[in-house]
Amino acid sequence: MLRLLLARLSQSAVTLLLFSVVVFGLARATGDPLTLVLPMVATEEDVANARRYLGLDRPFYVQYLTFVGRATTGDFGTSIRSRRPVVDLLRERLPNSLALAAFSMAVSLLVAFPLGVLAAVRRGTALDSGAKVLATLGQSLPTFWVGIVLIEVVAGRLQWLPAGGSGSLAHYVLPGFTLGWFVVAGLMRLLRSAMLEVLDAEYVTTARAKGAPEVSVVWRHALRNALIPVVTFAGVYFAILVTSAIVVETVFAWPGMGRLAYEAITGRDFPVIQAVVLVTAAIVVTVNFAVDLLYAVIDPRIGLAP
Amino acid sequence: MPSSTPESAWRRSSLFRRMPVIPVGIITGFVLLALAAGLVSPADPYAQSLRARLAPPVWAADGSWAHPLGTDRLGRDLLSRIIFGARVSLTAGVATVLLAGLVGAAVGLLAGYYRGRIGRVLMRLTDATLALPIILLALVLAVTAGPSFVNVVIAIGAILWARYARVVYGEVLALMERDFIAQARLTGCSDRRIILVHLLPNTLPSLLVLLSLQIGYVIIVEASLSFLGAGIPPPTPAWGSMIAEGRDYIASAWWVSFFPGLAILLVVLAFNLVGDWLRDELDPKLHHL
Amino acid sequence: MGAAAALLLLLLSATQATAAAAAPTGELTVALSSFATEVLDPALGGHGVKFYLALMFDYLIGVTPDGRLSPELGIATAWEASPDHRRWTFTLRRDVRFHNGDALTSADVKFSILRAIGPRSTTGYAGVLRALLDRIETPAPDRVVIVTREPTLVIPPYLSRALATEGMILPKRYIESVGDDEFARKPIGSGPYRFVEQVTGSHVRLAAVPHHWRIGTPRYQTVTFRVIPEESTRMAMVRRAEVDLADVSRDRVREMEQAGFPVRYRDNDALLHLWWILPWDQTPVRDRRVREALNLAIDRREIAATIFGGKAEPAAVPFGLTWAFRDVKLTVPDEWRYPFDPARARALLAEAGYRDGFPITIFAYQLPALPEGREMAEAIAGYWQKIGVRPTLVPVDYPAFRKQWVDRTAPGAIGYYNLPNRDWIGTYTLLDKFAHTPSRPTDTVADREVDRMLDAILTATDRPKINALMRQAFARLRREHAGIPLVYLHTPYVTSKRIAAWDPGSVMLDLNIDGLVAER
Repeated sequence: MLRLLLARLSQSAVTLLLFSVVVFGLARATGDPLTLVLPMVATEEDVANARRYLGLDRPFYVQYLTFVGRATTGDFGTSIRSRRPVVDLLRERLPNSLALAAFSMAVSLLVAFPLGVLAAVRRGTALDSGAKVLATLGQSLPTFWVGIVLIEVVAGRLQWLPAGGSGSLAHYVLPGFTLGWFVVAGLMRLLRSAMLEVLDAEYVTTARAKGAPEVSVVWRHALRNALIPVVTFAGVYFAILVTSAIVVETVFAWPGMGRLAYEAITGRDFPVIQAVVLVTAAIVVTVNFAVDLLYAVIDPRIGLAP
Repeated sequence: MPSSTPESAWRRSSLFRRMPVIPVGIITGFVLLALAAGLVSPADPYAQSLRARLAPPVWAADGSWAHPLGTDRLGRDLLSRIIFGARVSLTAGVATVLLAGLVGAAVGLLAGYYRGRIGRVLMRLTDATLALPIILLALVLAVTAGPSFVNVVIAIGAILWARYARVVYGEVLALMERDFIAQARLTGCSDRRIILVHLLPNTLPSLLVLLSLQIGYVIIVEASLSFLGAGIPPPTPAWGSMIAEGRDYIASAWWVSFFPGLAILLVVLAFNLVGDWLRDELDPKLHHL
Repeated sequence: MGAAAALLLLLLSATQATAAAAAPTGELTVALSSFATEVLDPALGGHGVKFYLALMFDYLIGVTPDGRLSPELGIATAWEASPDHRRWTFTLRRDVRFHNGDALTSADVKFSILRAIGPRSTTGYAGVLRALLDRIETPAPDRVVIVTREPTLVIPPYLSRALATEGMILPKRYIESVGDDEFARKPIGSGPYRFVEQVTGSHVRLAAVPHHWRIGTPRYQTVTFRVIPEESTRMAMVRRAEVDLADVSRDRVREMEQAGFPVRYRDNDALLHLWWILPWDQTPVRDRRVREALNLAIDRREIAATIFGGKAEPAAVPFGLTWAFRDVKLTVPDEWRYPFDPARARALLAEAGYRDGFPITIFAYQLPALPEGREMAEAIAGYWQKIGVRPTLVPVDYPAFRKQWVDRTAPGAIGYYNLPNRDWIGTYTLLDKFAHTPSRPTDTVADREVDRMLDAILTATDRPKINALMRQAFARLRREHAGIPLVYLHTPYVTSKRIAAWDPGSVMLDLNIDGLVAER
């Protein structure tokens, strides 16, 4: 078991390293950041100065090695756009993204839960179909559209909630709902089919045969076991939330990693692009790993996937 | 399922009776619209007329039958753009999903069949790809090579295949334990034959489910990419970019975003419901999709 | 005893009352769709950072909201040139202190100017100063003498608030003790507001100093600049009174006005100017008639009325920045205006040998303060299609276009920019950048005559002569149809209902926030 663990760990590390090369190349392929940093009237001397100052005049492989070398000590370089250490930017923005993702996860669980259970228990009825359509609605509209409509109506006209930025719990509601809404469908579907599978299982029919009340059957046996795949997939969905928050963060001016990535790409801010993509990949890889681990622990029959 | 018994025959016949009619009807309708766009569309979707910009639909005060659903910010007829947009958006969705499905199935089959070193390497590659965020990659591609239809398909497909690969891989692993595979090997079937004739058809059901669910996803992602400036570029009518263009006019000219949004909603909902139904029919155990 | 107590109480309450009336309260929030960069060190910024740094720092030479140099609004209370225009003497204001208590002296002025043109600087305007500056003398704590290599008139406007950040005065002792990086993180200036915090991509927050010679007692305790890219979000925040001042796209002005929010304009804030990428010699636009035809085929009035919602005026002069016209006393004659004449355009094309038109590439991109960029490019393509030209729209973003422009990999292709309006010195630097010699990568004109005129302006010491040269330069650019000046844009700003009056001013890239925060 421990050997498998270490093997997986080293494999993940290799993945990340390969990743860093690809990311490095991609970032630099996007173009020249200096056109955006310097005013239009900058002279060639200014441009050359800036290039030298930012280390962009050295050969490709030198830049890469410097990047990797520094990254291992936690130094991701300096942002070209804001001239601040990238680590500072990450430190400012990552917690915001994680917080929003957590909030959205909570929202989608709160919605998906009753929908999924209801649909499973009342399988085949109009309630089941209705719940399915409602959940699927969440995946059938572009996220930015939902966000903007909510801003116009709830924040602009009704003025019930703040439109953008962060600061108080109220600021979490609209972006959290918009982000979580997309994921509700998947969660609900998962819960529903997991519950269905369990409801048909032997030990449930046994419990029923023994005369246990229906409520107890549903809640204690079925639900508890159906939670297993949901819990493990909640981890995967969390990673999806963190990585796909770019649209929601842009619409709601949420100071998170998604928007940092967008600004960095459009601003050709190489150090930030590299750092953000690497950190995002690291998060996903870590979550995948943890999920596999959880799976193996909960159901020893499965074991760690090769 | 390869074996043919009276039970499966019954299942196949009642399949059509239990098919969700409305979603399938919607999909068929839009596909027909896309195919016959030139015949059905009332105007040229590219013809601009600045004086007629942001004209309201026919039932509003200043509306006219010349533009039944109104015009966009350059005065182009919205209805025509939605009809031609069906062609663009549906093609984008289907092309991306087919491309990704092809690559993903191939990788999954090979990894699952050969296992060992090849299998591990392929699965590492798959996991690494899954960790890349689609939208970021599409943005980088748009910024580097310029946004285009092809770039959108490549950007999304380049990451989507990994999802299919994972699913197919799992399926193949399970199938490899089955008797008929062992039998096929004993009787001396070549690797290629086993993969193509025995494994592939058995993975098709789950692949089909995934593909139908993902067409809608691709159309939605294209919309988000347009919002960020990395989608199918103007003046090509694509539902996603039409919604993105119209988003600042929600309060003043709501129709510019609303109607393409409605089109996306109907089509994607339909694909999702059909995909759900397919999955329920084929095997409820496919809940991990 | 009781009377004494009562008197004391009265005195106390009186001082309380005056203190309360004078103290700044509340928060002013400004929301913009983008910040050009978000640096806090003027040497790393450029004209893009003026609007918030101008509150934190003072300039050597101040300007009034309508762009005239003013001894009342800058550190220099007087300035004069020697007869040969090579020695500029500035008399400095006394008793100015930085936010950390240090006194502002000539040493700081010398330090700041040298730092602004140093190797680390990326302000973008340092080139001319570097070429001209010989040395800076500090004969007294309140006197600075700038000595130039050539006689010139440009020094005062160059170091003023009208241009960029070279004129901002920085604390020498503080920067030398904590270093450049720490200064960039925690800047200290002498302006009416001091730096409190910055979250990149979110906001910059400043806090008032109790009293400042530029504005008196500040009206607001804090000023926060926020970046909110999505327009719906920004407008919702205005509606919720979370934001006091925001830029708004021209299409949404009516909606906000109808909801009761005052909208103010910076008239002729920018010139939307298009040009053809050099070199032209293998392309149809080398022929002046073709250039004229492409200009005549566009209906500027229609574009101004529709795409820009009426908040634009047709333009006629390439690089014709109107605030410079005012300085150099140029009135645009009627013959210079372009009529909308597609028939004549077609005739000109035929005359030039392009009866069947020709292919042309149009790069389409958004720019800050120009969300209509792509729409405009599509509209232009539409007009040109009608005279037989075959345009291809290439959507990119600005950096990608700039690369093609500077590398000259797309000769004859169309690009554009919304050039912020500015005074004559600013326009001169612009012309120097975009209309001066083919050897400069950003040249768009390649005209030796224009080069000659621009060279003469830099070392002319006679204002009337400079004015005449600039007028001639504009006339030539117009006669040669050196570009496509499209429209002057009026930029709308929406304010919350509690903002009584505000003049956005006509200083380049400066929103005259001073006017909002100054004592009543």
